[in-house]
Amino acid sequence: MMDEEPERAKRWEGGYERTWEVLKEDESGSLKATVEEILFQSKRKRVIENYGKVRLGMMRHLYVVVDCSRSMDDHDLKPNRLTSTLKLMEAFVEEYFDQNPISQLGIITTKNKRAEKLTDLAGNPKKHTAALKKAVDTVCVGEPSLYNSLNLSIQTLKHMPGHTSREILIILSSLTTCDPANICELIKTLKSLKVRVSVIGLSAEVRVCTVLTRETGGSYHVILDESHFKELLMLHVRPPPVSSSSECSLIRMGFPQHIIASLTDQDAKPSFSMSQLDSNSSEAALTLGGYFCPQCHTKYTELPVECKVCGLTLVSAPHLARSFHHLFPLQAFTESPTEELQEDRFCQACQGELKDKSIFSCPSCGSAFCVECDFFIHDSLHCCPGCIHSQTAP
Amino acid sequence: MASLSEEVLLVVKKVRQRKQDGTLYLMAERIAWGPEGKDRFSVSHLYADIRCQKISPDGKAKIQLQLVLHTGESTTFHFSNESSALKDRDAAKELLQQLLPKFKKKANKELEEKNRMLQEDPVLFQLYKDLVVSQVISADEFWANRLGDINSADSAVSNNKQEVGISGAFLADIRPQTDGCNGLRYNLTADIIESIFRTYPAVKQKYSENVPHNLTEKEFWTRFFQSHYFHRDRINTGTQDIFSECAKQDEKGLKSMVVQGVKNPLVDLLSLEDKTLDEGYGVGTTLPSTSNRTVKDSSNSAIIKRFNHHSAMVLAAGSRKGEAPADQASETSSTDGNSRDSDFFQPPVKKVKLQEAIEYEDLQRENRPKTVALNLKKSDRYAHGPVPLQSQHYSTSQDIINSVSYIQHEMANYKPNLTQVLSSTAASSAISALSPGGVLMQAATQQAINQMVPTDIQGELKHLYVAAGELLRHFWSCFPVNTPFLEEKVIKMKSNLERFQMTKLRPFQEKIQRQYLSTNLTGHLEEMLQTAYSKFHVWQTRRMMRKT
Repeated sequence: MMDEEPERAKRWEGGYERTWEVLKEDESGSLKATVEEILFQSKRKRVIENYGKVRLGMMRHLYVVVDCSRSMDDHDLKPNRLTSTLKLMEAFVEEYFDQNPISQLGIITTKNKRAEKLTDLAGNPKKHTAALKKAVDTVCVGEPSLYNSLNLSIQTLKHMPGHTSREILIILSSLTTCDPANICELIKTLKSLKVRVSVIGLSAEVRVCTVLTRETGGSYHVILDESHFKELLMLHVRPPPVSSSSECSLIRMGFPQHIIASLTDQDAKPSFSMSQLDSNSSEAALTLGGYFCPQCHTKYTELPVECKVCGLTLVSAPHLARSFHHLFPLQAFTESPTEELQEDRFCQACQGELKDKSIFSCPSCGSAFCVECDFFIHDSLHCCPGCIHSQTAP
Repeated sequence: MASLSEEVLLVVKKVRQRKQDGTLYLMAERIAWGPEGKDRFSVSHLYADIRCQKISPDGKAKIQLQLVLHTGESTTFHFSNESSALKDRDAAKELLQQLLPKFKKKANKELEEKNRMLQEDPVLFQLYKDLVVSQVISADEFWANRLGDINSADSAVSNNKQEVGISGAFLADIRPQTDGCNGLRYNLTADIIESIFRTYPAVKQKYSENVPHNLTEKEFWTRFFQSHYFHRDRINTGTQDIFSECAKQDEKGLKSMVVQGVKNPLVDLLSLEDKTLDEGYGVGTTLPSTSNRTVKDSSNSAIIKRFNHHSAMVLAAGSRKGEAPADQASETSSTDGNSRDSDFFQPPVKKVKLQEAIEYEDLQRENRPKTVALNLKKSDRYAHGPVPLQSQHYSTSQDIINSVSYIQHEMANYKPNLTQVLSSTAASSAISALSPGGVLMQAATQQAINQMVPTDIQGELKHLYVAAGELLRHFWSCFPVNTPFLEEKVIKMKSNLERFQMTKLRPFQEKIQRQYLSTNLTGHLEEMLQTAYSKFHVWQTRRMMRKT
């Protein structure tokens, strides 16, 4: 019974840890199956309803607020909620900068009725990952404060230009919040500043979060378990569609060429990269090649980066092109019952036997895929394997 | 200097300093010490100069007080009066504690902040040495940008000044621990004390009245926890307790709250009763429902009263902090927990509340937020980039078909002729270029540079880079030049850059030339400076042209 449901098959390890859930299925099996069915349907809906050809907010300024209150010490996520959250956050940071190269991220923690910035808004994933690794040792104490953390984020976000998207993602595990003033006023302020707040709850639905996310246009979800938590986090990697009232403007960017030089060149000039010098580490090394800023000729070893000397955003063309699949998403595949398939029941992508009750076929090339491959193609690949192969054939 | 025209606040005799007996004087603006028998002060410090004071721990034989100045030096006073040394020292300490904060000048704080930043960040310190000490730029310019960072970092420092709400459970969180011998230990943090003061202003008043004149802090809190005021069973045991007044005030407050009643008809429990048509189909006289209000004085009602009172006080304290909420729909907007005066439920508010109570948004269809459509011309250009226009060789479509079939034919009949592909000399030179060590395979040997240049030279070069980067940052931040202030700044920065090149870069270049290092280490820096100069020239010429 466990193999048929696709979600369960992924979590065979979970099955060993939480053996009491197996017992639950026998007694009231329908309950578990219903929940899984709901999750599956919502995943499907997301694929179908993806926003094609709408304006997206690609330059994002996102603040992630992590709750470090007493309730994060709970052991329902292994080893405790805080460690699990921080680990997932590291993966989120990597994915976020992968999909949104010209965006920035900042992290705030809240505990003991106060909020504190862990890292400032920055475009470099290494800083954030280092800070997250260190934060595993924080003591979880006190109550979180929604008001103070939102206030702290607003102080920086309100200075961001109008054409960028301002977002806050709150990971809240406590059921209470201790605020110094009326949070309804703050919600009004957030709306006027066009900040979008989304919440991921770890315990249960809390009314103030529902109102907060509804008024600001964000989303609110409560996790079921660790893999669901990961899915919900990764939902926020995608750039959100803009509301009608944001401005648009031209953005100045530099596209430096990668220069490779060798010692035998006539004018070999070894140089330091400015970003390495600032970080006070011993990794600053003389190198010959690199990216030179077109405006001030400062050298950098990595892109994308904001030039420390002249303030120009330096990117390479593939960084911008990476976000095209958000603008031109892959069409949703048509669902049909498996029995209708005349030929051999093999998934075109993974070559596995088609055992689910429905298959998905690409509208242009007609190849059939199983459920898992359908999700994978739409979430990660962004192109149909059948269509690609059919193009190169003579 | 013994002119006692200043107001003397405290005189302590038998205070030794540097093994000399003397007297300590605390005045309005300074603290001074003079040796025994002499008329003048040998040690005198303004309160503004004192950074902090330290006292020797309680168990030690020598009772001392140390003053640490901003400059780092310290002065120690030893209280040697056999009978009253401890009292003297404590009196001096208390007075200092009250006086020192008044004199903390803001300017010192900034200086401290600057010092701290220089000490914490060696790169910054080096930059400071390179640029300011050698007169390349002035100290003001150096700190202009940094202090801007401080002031915004101040808001991070004002973490401590963040307004904090009051947790409803703060009293319960105190969690006394038994300390083994029939006693209880209460851990009080600053947070809890602040919460108590904000929620119960009466207690705050008592504190300011009694501490430090009658009781010490420790005694005050011990009495607080011992008093029945704190515990559940509030039996007022006469007037010995300083908190009995607070209890009486609370009682009064509770009574007034109850008298006011509840204005919101949706939660007013007292007015909810069954409205039935009695016998007689409503014609008969309806007896007013008399609710028996015999309040049983059981301990339960005392607890319930205390809980209600506590919650009301916490809510009131929260709203007391901010401005009076303009929201009409709020139910407990009052400045004092003991009275609720602002609930007026006009019909429109009531209607909204009723509407909320009968509808569930969750069950309604979710409204997708409106999205803005993308307006792209020629969107397939995104798939493969712009294609340059080429001149057409073919004039008719028949030409194209012919050429396609010709190419297909050629490709089908292709026979390789490997001996005619490349001449042998060309082939061997290509192979040598692609073998390790050849011309095109230099990427692997990049690491060698680090070994070729000695580390101290590298270190100096790093400092030069950081300094140049800082100067260039100031320079580039002036563009676009649209105010006269920026114009002046850009001209000044250019001269700074030239000065930097003269004073720092040239000597370094000469030094490495003397060491016979063949690699051009400063070439990149010169390029960066040259780019800045050319930008400046372009701007200058444009300005000239605009003026003429």
